[in-house]
Amino acid sequence: MSKKEENLNKNWKKDFPIEKQQATNVSRRDFAKFLTLVSGGLMVGSGLVAAKAYWYPKEEVEGEHFVCNKADVPLGGTHAFVIQGSTIPYILIHLETGEFKAYEQKCTHLSCSVFYKPGTGIIHCPCHEGSFDAQTGNVLGGPPPRALPKLEVFFKGEAVYVKAAQQEKVKVI
Amino acid sequence: MSNFRRSQNQSNPNKLNAILSTLIFVLILNVTIQIWLLYAALNNALDNNIEILIPAFVASFGLFLVCIVLLYYMPTGNTNTRK
Repeated sequence: MSKKEENLNKNWKKDFPIEKQQATNVSRRDFAKFLTLVSGGLMVGSGLVAAKAYWYPKEEVEGEHFVCNKADVPLGGTHAFVIQGSTIPYILIHLETGEFKAYEQKCTHLSCSVFYKPGTGIIHCPCHEGSFDAQTGNVLGGPPPRALPKLEVFFKGEAVYVKAAQQEKVKVI
Repeated sequence: MSNFRRSQNQSNPNKLNAILSTLIFVLILNVTIQIWLLYAALNNALDNNIEILIPAFVASFGLFLVCIVLLYYMPTGNTNTRK
């Protein structure tokens, strides 16, 4: 077998099966056209995001929902719950200050499960070390781009109830 | 009849090179702005700030039109070869 044939049979040739002649066809003109195509794709993407938000808006939590009794969650403890008719997981936190807070349990970064670190006032995401303020749900550190969605907690006697929180309009740029 | 395209193609290859490089630079700039617009739109959509989505889409559409128009000015190569 000649040296040339030997070279052709090498593995890297199989992994990159493009002739030298063809490779030179990828010119700067083609690159410019490709960039325009990418631009069109991004424009369509923006349109889809807008269309989805206007035509299929996110479902709000409706009505009042019983979660548990106050005595079921010790100070610094948490209680995971799901609202009837929905699959979104929430956590009810009994803060050391005595307040009750309810947040969505999905991290706003990549939807990992977040948990409350007792005694610190921090909700932590173990996947990429994201931290949220347990008082407000705002991001304290790490990659999460938005605050944790929250529910409003209120009481009827000893029972803890949640309902949709008033949305605060904060633009994310 | 001489037109824009013919005179552009007859210009010096160095000039064509500069035009093409500039076009690609502007195209990359446009795409970068569009990526930022899409990122901001997604984040705001997830945060229920839907009023910002239409302006973001319009801006993205405008930048895409700019990209299309710029393709017209892309040199097709110096064809002024000697016979």
